[in-house]
Amino acid sequence: MPYYKHFIFALISTVGFSILFNVPKRSIFYAGLTGGIGWTVYMYIKALTLSSSFSIFLASIIVGVLGEIFARIDKKPVTTFVIPGIVPLVPGYTMYLSMVNLINQEFYTAVKLGTEAVFTSGAISVGIIIVTSVAKIIKIKKDPNIKAKELSQES
Amino acid sequence: MTENKKKSILRIALYAGEIMLKNGAETYRTEDTINIMCRSKELKHVNSFVTPTGIFISDDRLDGISFIKRIKSRTINLSKISDVNNFARKFIKDDISEMDALLELRRIDKKGKYEKYTRTFFTGLASAFFSLLFGAGLTDFILAFLISMVAIRVNWKIERLSNTSFLAKATSGALISFLALISKSIGFGESIDMIIVGSIMPLVPGVALTNGLRDFISGDLIAGATRVAEAVLIAISIAVGVGTILKLWVHLFGGVF
Repeated sequence: MPYYKHFIFALISTVGFSILFNVPKRSIFYAGLTGGIGWTVYMYIKALTLSSSFSIFLASIIVGVLGEIFARIDKKPVTTFVIPGIVPLVPGYTMYLSMVNLINQEFYTAVKLGTEAVFTSGAISVGIIIVTSVAKIIKIKKDPNIKAKELSQES
Repeated sequence: MTENKKKSILRIALYAGEIMLKNGAETYRTEDTINIMCRSKELKHVNSFVTPTGIFISDDRLDGISFIKRIKSRTINLSKISDVNNFARKFIKDDISEMDALLELRRIDKKGKYEKYTRTFFTGLASAFFSLLFGAGLTDFILAFLISMVAIRVNWKIERLSNTSFLAKATSGALISFLALISKSIGFGESIDMIIVGSIMPLVPGVALTNGLRDFISGDLIAGATRVAEAVLIAISIAVGVGTILKLWVHLFGGVF
């Protein structure tokens, strides 16, 4: 499947999830863009490096950065864009499969898939947290007068 | 500062925190919002302790007052989080009376979601396009669209009636696999896996697991443990629903795969 198709499908899918998550009307397009770009980057890097966790990690950094940018543009908290943005990357299906295998007493597959799910969501969380922390540091550097504590409000 | 003044600030901060937490805000964001709101009104010694199932706020001076709020259910509603965020900023800057602040928060709390049919339609769209991302064909795309809409409606209905999400998730999981099997056996669907991948997407706890790990990494260990446990429980309940139907089907009609 060509990358532009991946981008369009992921974008529409993310827009659908944004409605489910009740994202404010004006921000829906930005949220969809975040998800679409995140997924396309993931597919591209996965084809290059063949490592799933690493490409998820890079993609979620991109999602985090886009979230920060759109939050500045749209004056909304970063969560509004990051939560829909990570939906295509998140290992919900893997986790479900792991539990199905557990119930069917296929313990080896269950543990394998479960570990994969934890690794994937760990990579996403680390990626997002890195971006949030760096954004906070940049903000303090720019304006040393504000206390670090008060910043976290806006991020 | 009088005790009543203190109490009213704590009450407003608690209500703001409650709305944020109920609608899926991260733990650290909720704690920060509560602390900043209190600090901006000269309440310097406030501690807040937030877990996904409850909020504790206390002023640790001698006349310390504490407030506790139990949180029973959590969904994701990002527009309310954004509204509370704006409210908190306004509250910090301006002098808002207790009554006005509580009324404003109540307005945010009661705010509706998108129209029910809009949400159903877009859930179907999200699921259908998700199955395309996994490489489904056209018939599976249509089936995922239809089945996920039915499943999410059933999920909402049962969630409203019963306060544990186990039953709702298990039933919708069972319904998804049942409909997928039926459509396959009448010769319409191509691959059961693809239909299930798409339709199950709005139910699976991927975001919950990721948020749990985010809490773990930022040091909110209790919140992280709670969220991860919740995610595992949801995954188990869907698997129970889907698995039961698949097993029954194989027993009754033999394999259709």
